[in-house]
Order: sequence, then C-alpha cells, then structure tokens
Amino acid sequence: MKTHTFHISGTHCASCKIFIEDALNERGFIKNTCVDLKRETVKIETESDQSPKELAKVLTDTIKSNGYALSVEKPVEEQWNNDVIWKAVPIGLALLTLFFLLQKSGILNLGIGGGQITPTTSFLVGLLASVSSCLAVVGGLVLSLSAKISQDNERDTKTFLLFHVGRLAGFAVLGGVLGAVGGAIGINITFTTILGIVASVAMILLGLNLVGVFEKNNVALPSGIFNFFRKVEHGTLTPLVIGFATFFLPCGFTQSMQISALGSGSFVSGLLLMLSFALGTLPMLLFLSFGSASFARGRYAPIFFESAGVVVIGLGVFALLSGLAGLGIIRPIFNI
Amino acid sequence: MSKIIAVVITLLLVAGLGTILLGQPKGDKKNAHSSGLNASEFELTNNVEMREGAQYVTINVRGGYSPRISVAKADIPTKLILKTNGTYDCSASLVIRSIGYQKVLPPIGEEVIDLGIPKPHTLQGACSMGMYNFSVNFK
Repeated sequence: MKTHTFHISGTHCASCKIFIEDALNERGFIKNTCVDLKRETVKIETESDQSPKELAKVLTDTIKSNGYALSVEKPVEEQWNNDVIWKAVPIGLALLTLFFLLQKSGILNLGIGGGQITPTTSFLVGLLASVSSCLAVVGGLVLSLSAKISQDNERDTKTFLLFHVGRLAGFAVLGGVLGAVGGAIGINITFTTILGIVASVAMILLGLNLVGVFEKNNVALPSGIFNFFRKVEHGTLTPLVIGFATFFLPCGFTQSMQISALGSGSFVSGLLLMLSFALGTLPMLLFLSFGSASFARGRYAPIFFESAGVVVIGLGVFALLSGLAGLGIIRPIFNI
Repeated sequence: MSKIIAVVITLLLVAGLGTILLGQPKGDKKNAHSSGLNASEFELTNNVEMREGAQYVTINVRGGYSPRISVAKADIPTKLILKTNGTYDCSASLVIRSIGYQKVLPPIGEEVIDLGIPKPHTLQGACSMGMYNFSVNFK
C-alpha cells in the first residue's frame, strides 16, 4: 500500500470533493481518497505500483470529462497568476480605451445610403455594426463565452461553429418571420434592453471568472449558473440556442434591420435582409471566437485570458450602466 | 519595479477612459455652457425655432444625438423633430421614457413628436442601449 498526494485543478465547489472522491474510489486499485479543497490536493492510498506520474495520468482520464485534472507538480498557472494580472489590467484597459476612442471619434458613424434597403446594404450595415458599440454587447458576450470555453475545453471548434450556425440560422428564420407577418408584431425595445442587461451581467460574471477572482477567493458561482455554462460548453443544443437568441440582443443596427425586414413584405426578402446582416457581422465575431481559441493554446494564454477578462468586465459594466440608463432607472452617465 | 510601471499605466488609462466616456463632446461645449446654471438669463439654443405659433426643437440623429443639450421655452406648444440621415446605429432606436415614447426611426426621414405644452422640466431621451442620450431643457 502506497500513499500519493496530487495537485488537483478544476475544483469550484464543495460538492466537487464528494464527486471526485466517489469517482476515484470506483477505480479498483484505489483504496482511500481524500480531497483537500483549500490546498487543492488529493491524497490517495493505492495498491498499484505505477509511478506517481502514470497514476496522475490514469486518474485524470477518469475525471477529465468533468473538468478536473490531477498532476504531480503544482500547476504552473498558480505561479503566473500574480504577475500576469499586473500586465493584463493595463492591456485590457488599453484595448477598452482604443475601442471607446474609436467610437467617440465618429469615424465609424458612416451614413449608408438610404432609400430601399437591399441585402447588400444590410451586409454593409452588418460590417459596420460589428465594429460599433454593439460590439460591447454581442462581441463582449462572444469573447467571454469563447475564452471561457477555450479555457475549459480542448475541443472548442464545434461549440463555436454551432454558435455561429445558430446565429446565422436565427437571423435568417426570424428575419423571414418578420417579413412574413409584416407590421403585425414589433420587437419591443424595452424587452431587448432588459435582455441586454441580463447579457451584461453574464459578461461581468464570466469576465470575473476569466480574471480568476472566483478561483482565488473561492467564491463559487451559484450552481445554477455554473451548470448553465457547463451545458454551454458540452451541449450541442445550447450554443445553437444562444446563437439564435443573439437576434434579440439590443443593438441599434440590428433593430434598424429588423424594422426593414418587417417592412420588406415577404418571408424570403426578410430572410435575405437579416441573413446578409448576420453575414456582415460574421467576420468580426469569427475573429473574436477563433482568435481567442488560438491565443488560448499559445504561450501567452494566461495573459490573454486575464486581459480578455478585463475587457469583458469593462464592456459588461458599460453595457449594464447604459442599459439601466436606457430603462430610465439611472441617469445617463456616458457621452460617447 | 514593473509593478509600479503597470500601476502608473493603469491609472493613466483609467483617467483616459474616464475622459472619453464621461467628457462632453467638443461640439457641445458652447451649448452646455449656455444651458448652465444661470436660469434667469438663458438663451435658446439655435436648434429651436418658432413657426406658426409653435416651437420646433430639431435634433439630428446619427451616431448619437446632436445637439445633446437643447434649451427651449416652457409653456408653449412644442414639437420635437428628429432628423435621421442614413442612421442605422443605436441612436435610431429612440426611447423617451417620460412620455412613453419608443420607436425605431427610419434610416432617412424626419420624425415629429408632439410634446403638447411642456411644463418647465428637462426632457430626457436615450437610445435603447442607453449609451447615446440627449436632453431638452424647458425653462
């Protein structure tokens, strides 16, 4: 009988202890397990003669799909954390400054010809929207979800593709519906504003998570929310649905296009308008999700995650305060 | 050492962000000044005109609202004109809470909102996401 102590990563709540102990005890050669959440270690007694390294690998395979990993050495991440945040905060703030400076400069306030809106115009409007302040909500959400997924999951490409397919399909189908029903329904502005506030709260939570606030202080996300994100990462349906739902997120450009689709008179023309709008926004959003995925595997991953966290928190706070002002709950704060 | 530099840069960036987000846009400085605290000697902003016994307040809508602050007379019939010109951004989806108005404005056109006879107050309008806003000061 031998005793080994491994470092464990991925623990986030008290029930993790129970889960990991149960999962490991199911392996025949493990006699006794004890997880120490505070020190993030697990102590096992085993009859196996394998080296600690091999054991860690075998046992990680058992619990990997639940987001945990065992290692002999203390994960390097820990050592980065302190120094990284000092670089990540200025980087994140610099990106935010650049973004808002660009918004304020008015360079992006191009007028796009008026009159009849064709799918071509709506594609251009989409391109413009993807670098506008709408990026604060939709892009921020995409960035935070992408970074979170890349952080936790190796096979993220499928999730991203599903999200974008869901988004394109959602815009096409809902645009078609708007075209078909015409003026009978309108999308309520207050509803989208409230949805935007929900999205911004989610962004702030995800941002804090990326920066590592939750890990360090052992403040766990409410389990409901946590399970929701787990589902987002591993499910097939959820990224599709979230992509679909971005149709309703508040964005002036989207709303203008929705009104045009309403007035377009037929299912096909509404579909074409909203689909080409979504296609226009696609390059920027693809860049955000796959860009973050490739960063996530590089050696700058820790800096990337924390900087992304800072950016996402900034955008989330901006969107939240703006949304509250939009609802008339607080006085408008921003003058961009 | 690098931490000190990082903190200094961070503080500079926070100050920069604050200026960008909270500062007055350049073109508005004059208007903001004339609508200042001196209530007895106010001037109407030049986007306000009288026609056929009614007061018209015109606001241009694209990438925000301009002018952001207008000063108009209270207690006379007033109409608000919102001019869009190739406007697709958030400022097109306008919300004026106090009069229960919300509408996505057409990309090109003029929207006329009848305000009735406003009492002295400040009318506040914002776009649906809330990052653009304007106010009309009725005195």
